[in-house]
Amino acid sequence: MANLNIKSKQERTYQAIVIGSGISGGWAAKELCDLGVKTLMLERGRNVEHIKDYPTTNMLPYEFEHRGQVPEDIKKENPVVSRCYAFREDAIHFFVKDTEHPYVQEKPFDWIRGYQVGGKSLLWARQVQRWSDFDFEGPARDGFAVDWPIRYKDLAPWYSHVEKFAGVSGNRDGLDTLPDGEFLPGYELNVMEKYFQEQLKKHYGGDRHMISARCAHIHGNADFFAQQGRALCQNRNLCQRGCPFGGYFSSNSSTIPWALKTGNLTLRPEAVVHSIIYDEEKGKASGVRIIDRLTKEMEEFYADVIFLNAAALNSNLILMNSTSSRFPNGLGNDNGLLGKYVAFHNYRAGVSGEFEGLEEYTTTGGRPTSGYFPRFRNVYKQETDFLRGYAAGFSAGRGVRPNTEGLGMDLKNSLLNPDQYGPWYVGSHMMGETIPKESNYVALDPNLKDEWGMPQLKISVEYDDNDEKMVKDYLEQMTEMFEKAGVTNIRTRDDHRAPGLDIHEMGGVRMGKDPKTSLLNAHHQLHAVPNVYVTDGASMTSTSTQNPSLTYMAFAARAAHHAVAESKK
Amino acid sequence: MNRRHALRHIALISGGLALIPSCDFSSDDILAAYQKLKVKSSEKELLGAISNTIIPAGEIKGALELAVPDFILVMVNDCMEEESQSRFMKGLRAFPEFAGKEFDQLSPKEKEAKVKEGLMLEGDDTEEGKVKQDIQYFLNTTKRLTIQGYMASEYIQTEIIPYSLIPGEYNGAVLISDFQKPRING
Repeated sequence: MANLNIKSKQERTYQAIVIGSGISGGWAAKELCDLGVKTLMLERGRNVEHIKDYPTTNMLPYEFEHRGQVPEDIKKENPVVSRCYAFREDAIHFFVKDTEHPYVQEKPFDWIRGYQVGGKSLLWARQVQRWSDFDFEGPARDGFAVDWPIRYKDLAPWYSHVEKFAGVSGNRDGLDTLPDGEFLPGYELNVMEKYFQEQLKKHYGGDRHMISARCAHIHGNADFFAQQGRALCQNRNLCQRGCPFGGYFSSNSSTIPWALKTGNLTLRPEAVVHSIIYDEEKGKASGVRIIDRLTKEMEEFYADVIFLNAAALNSNLILMNSTSSRFPNGLGNDNGLLGKYVAFHNYRAGVSGEFEGLEEYTTTGGRPTSGYFPRFRNVYKQETDFLRGYAAGFSAGRGVRPNTEGLGMDLKNSLLNPDQYGPWYVGSHMMGETIPKESNYVALDPNLKDEWGMPQLKISVEYDDNDEKMVKDYLEQMTEMFEKAGVTNIRTRDDHRAPGLDIHEMGGVRMGKDPKTSLLNAHHQLHAVPNVYVTDGASMTSTSTQNPSLTYMAFAARAAHHAVAESKK
Repeated sequence: MNRRHALRHIALISGGLALIPSCDFSSDDILAAYQKLKVKSSEKELLGAISNTIIPAGEIKGALELAVPDFILVMVNDCMEEESQSRFMKGLRAFPEFAGKEFDQLSPKEKEAKVKEGLMLEGDDTEEGKVKQDIQYFLNTTKRLTIQGYMASEYIQTEIIPYSLIPGEYNGAVLISDFQKPRING
């Protein structure tokens, strides 16, 4: 720490520090800056400026040397990230390579990461479904984890707050399991999906629903979003490259430029956070210690309040590495539960098939979303031999294919005049709730370090019997629904993928009412260090089934306002 | 090493990007651009003749004019596992003997017939059978990559069937009978 005197302590002091620039860090910073708080945002990776740093965004298919495929050498060196569906030739530069950031898999876990300004908000699947009280009340009703210290009514106004700014398209479906929000016009389901919807109504009454999934894409109210420099989604479906229109929500296109415009934000990329500094005298956190990614030099920054938004598992890592004589086992970890009760979403299973009807129809254009089944299992009461349930993705489509038989001029003419319409393709995948358990944990490896001298994270997370039963039930139920709707050639799969590939890892720093059994209170403050807020996936007490990013955004906005209100007391 | 030799060496290493006037390639060098395949320029020529048999030139350009053989070799070199690469190269090298006489001297019809025959080859576990399997694998891979490289070429995607980066608003119920696409004659 020889370089601490290069800049005066005053120059390195802010009112707030936000660790992480992904979806939740972006929101924390935006709210703090809007409220007049001088904020420093720390990001471990390089800067990625909206549009300027999207090198592939307007490339045409023939401009990719391998037409989108990832070369074999890269795959072999990076088996984990190569399993991610979005790791393609056009987005390789936004993913963490296995070789650069090793971690320890005590049990197989595919940890997918994006180390750059904007984090994984550049790469996410942009699905944004609200939680309801059927989700928040889950642990208390079914007797697992601990009771959430908040309910839907606490979060509802913040869902509205973030939806309006981020831009969420959706239909007002009126379902108690999936509350409606502040929606831009929704995307329509296609003729086959609507037919399936009717079949569900016919065979299951009002018990099961399939809707057009709400997504964070601008589909209306263009003037409002022009204030952020964003424009309508163009249905390109090239989102993982970064969108030059800002058509989907990311920190890069939305919250970070907005916060910078207030003049209150200082963005510091290349800052690998080492730890949060705890001031024993004052009994609170006083700042953050970083290692410069390029020079490897340590530097300290100071602030009254710290927001930890490093992404679920890295937020755990930072707290565990933040030791002091008051907190020898990690910051705020009085009960020894830090890093425990990690959970995720079970994406193992899928069902697909074909539909021979509606053969006179096809689709044109593009859309950034598809169908969604809100959870229908064990919603109102326990009805199966496993706890909780699953949501499911759903989509149908029909393409025209060329006939690739033959050779020579015959082949050439059929390639140039594709006219073979196959049957409708129908597909679904499960998104299962997993039950947080003490035995699913992350910890610091006692020996292994990374290039910056940080301890490597050891991950020990696996499926349990409840997950197995849920996979079986999903496959049975979805097959039954497909059959009843007249879908044929039904194929089921359970790919036994490792946890992590869902990219919905959560927990380890869970919220709760009781400091003995949780790390965070109802406002996301560490019970023992209230000027540290954790508002990303690490704070999740249970996982439910919805894609979680929208909930993290609402958490971050709500907590930022709480922090400012507290500072004025 | 004389100057011409040195220049040729550079050209080969840089994937033939440098143009050297009156360069003599007759010595059939190994092409350095595809370092895992050790493919010779004569073998690349044969690959070109096969891909141009799969998609020949006519009113619209064929595979060879669109540099499809380069695309095939890039994909095999970069995106295939070692075992598949080796099968591909074995098949390519066994093809001349299978073709009987110089493939290039066959008429277009004969070429087509030969490739068609090779695509359907079946082989058992004998040495001879394995060669047949390799040829069949090589030709099917070549056909697949020819189609991919041809259809996803700049020429096709700009001049013949323009690719749209912005596909337009979704319509989920379009009557197929409403489409009236003009026929493209290759």
